[in-house]
Amino acid sequence: MRKLIVASLKMLYRDKQALFWALAFPVIFAVVFALFDFEQTPQIDVAVVAEHESAVSEALVSGLREVDGFTVDERASLDAARAGLEDDEYGVVLAVPAGGEGEIRAFYNETNFEENQFALSAVQQIVDSTNLRLAGVSSPALAVEAVPVTAKSVEYYDFLLPGLVAMGVMNFSIIGMAVAISRFREQRILKRILATPLSPVKFLSAQVVARLVLAVVQAAIILAVGVYVFGAKVYGNVLWIFVLATLANLVFLNIGFAVAGRAANPDAAQGIGNAVALPMMFLSGVFFPTDTLPQVMQSVVAWLPLTPLIEALRAVSIDGLSITAAGPQVAMLGGWVAVSFLIAGRMFRFGRA
Amino acid sequence: MTDIAVQVRDLVKEFPSPGGGTLRAVDGISFEVERGEVFGFLGPNGAGKTTTLEIIEGLQRPTAGSTGVLGMDSIADKDAMEQRIGVQLQAGAYFDFLTLEEILDLFGSFYERRLPPEELLEKVGLLEKRKALVRELSGGQAQRFSIVASMVNDPDVVFLDEPTTGLDPQARRNLWELIRAIHADEAKTVVMTTHYMEEAEVLCDRVAIIDGGRIQALDTPVELVHALPAAYRIAFTAPRPIAESRLMGLPGVGEVHANGDLRYELRVSRADETLPAFIDWARGEGLELLGVRVLPATLEDVFLSVTGHALRE
Repeated sequence: MRKLIVASLKMLYRDKQALFWALAFPVIFAVVFALFDFEQTPQIDVAVVAEHESAVSEALVSGLREVDGFTVDERASLDAARAGLEDDEYGVVLAVPAGGEGEIRAFYNETNFEENQFALSAVQQIVDSTNLRLAGVSSPALAVEAVPVTAKSVEYYDFLLPGLVAMGVMNFSIIGMAVAISRFREQRILKRILATPLSPVKFLSAQVVARLVLAVVQAAIILAVGVYVFGAKVYGNVLWIFVLATLANLVFLNIGFAVAGRAANPDAAQGIGNAVALPMMFLSGVFFPTDTLPQVMQSVVAWLPLTPLIEALRAVSIDGLSITAAGPQVAMLGGWVAVSFLIAGRMFRFGRA
Repeated sequence: MTDIAVQVRDLVKEFPSPGGGTLRAVDGISFEVERGEVFGFLGPNGAGKTTTLEIIEGLQRPTAGSTGVLGMDSIADKDAMEQRIGVQLQAGAYFDFLTLEEILDLFGSFYERRLPPEELLEKVGLLEKRKALVRELSGGQAQRFSIVASMVNDPDVVFLDEPTTGLDPQARRNLWELIRAIHADEAKTVVMTTHYMEEAEVLCDRVAIIDGGRIQALDTPVELVHALPAAYRIAFTAPRPIAESRLMGLPGVGEVHANGDLRYELRVSRADETLPAFIDWARGEGLELLGVRVLPATLEDVFLSVTGHALRE
């Protein structure tokens, strides 16, 4: 049995193409999502036009300068500033009334909705606090620091990384196992094994063990790339991540067996495997929290095996919790192991599909 | 120790037919293979050769009847039987990502009795390829490897399913040498299938001609040919036309074929009986015969004779 497991590991390790995709696929996603910078503070050029400098205009300019992402120009002519707005030189133009009283008029380009919302709310807050101060309310000079400029400690990559680990393990196991078994059948290796004293269950068990081991290595590499290349942070115990990935991997391997049972050839196995894995990949919260899905979908998605895995991985990785804190998720994965084993048992055929 | 290597009794195998109903792939086959024999199944694709072999090997369940190897039942004594047999599957491959040496080592680990990979590879001239992958071998090498991979446990009975299909003539001849060596040097019983007449004639001690799931004839290649009503052909060219009835009057002539251009062919059961009489008769007639040739019938003729159709149509 030891020899068989070692041989199975060698086969997996030497299948460089499969190995490459097992690692490259999650990394490609990591790179692609690096292009969308969800943490980015909008960069906004603001022009402040004050015909006469006043306490109001000074407070406004210095307040705006405090805000991350704001570049503030002081312009003398409103017309010139508005021309700059049309040329996209400025995102927002603020006109301070002469004498510092009355309405500050904000001109903005309607097309950049998100930036404007951000800029206008920042301006509103600065104006409010300036008003308070000018009204004699003593507060620590202009509470500009209070302007909310997204400073979440958990960044998108920290969120994405556990999802990518789960996705990588799932794809490698469902599709990899289904294709491998299907190929063994097509090449009559399964039949050849049946003609030896080796029990077919032992042969398949060795495959499973080899894949469980390799998936841990795969998870470790994805984590390492995420942390050291993309700067993601893992707050929890990495060991729990491996334990969870291995538990879920049993489910994925069972699904792989079930797919191999129904696929007529390796190409079909690849196709069916993808058909099973892809929806989970997009729905189970690899890239975005599942609460962004419609309510009905959420209740369905919650039952997919990838969902509790990702939730549990995030509880460990982001919240730094122990595996015991993810009790419901672990229980659901355990249930899936049993259910998927039964499904695989029903669908898997050693002989021709 | 029993002298019977393989025993098959009243074997029937039915498959559900795609169009409904059942298809009888094997329709009541019985035979025995003696130890030390090379036994061949000759027949076209779909004749039931592979099904019969796989039932003996324990890979398929028979619908009716029983099979056994070395006195062990293919189903009841499967585990014990598997230790003693070697199986080469038709168009069977081995692991893509293991070397020849590793595959033999791995398969050897499944058995109680095993031979070292080097010794096995040496036997088939693949020792220098021991670190190669199967896909790096030529067709002939891969086939030699698949035969030797069926012998990791030094089996007493080796089953080879179409071992030379798809090989070029040279590679096929090399493989024949190998099969002969397995049989002669190691005294192993070989049960093989083929759809090549020549192969069955060259290799097999006895041949079962199988067609439509039934054994149509079973004997040594020589006897099979001998049993034909016309085991030999005497071909010649005459200087002038001869009446066929006169040729039919010669001893032992079964049929006369006039092939045009004054070429004739006599189908005879025994050449040694007909030929002298034929020569005497021609002399007496003052016929100057050209190119007299005696051709033995082949298994091809046997096949045609027992099944009513050619092996490949």
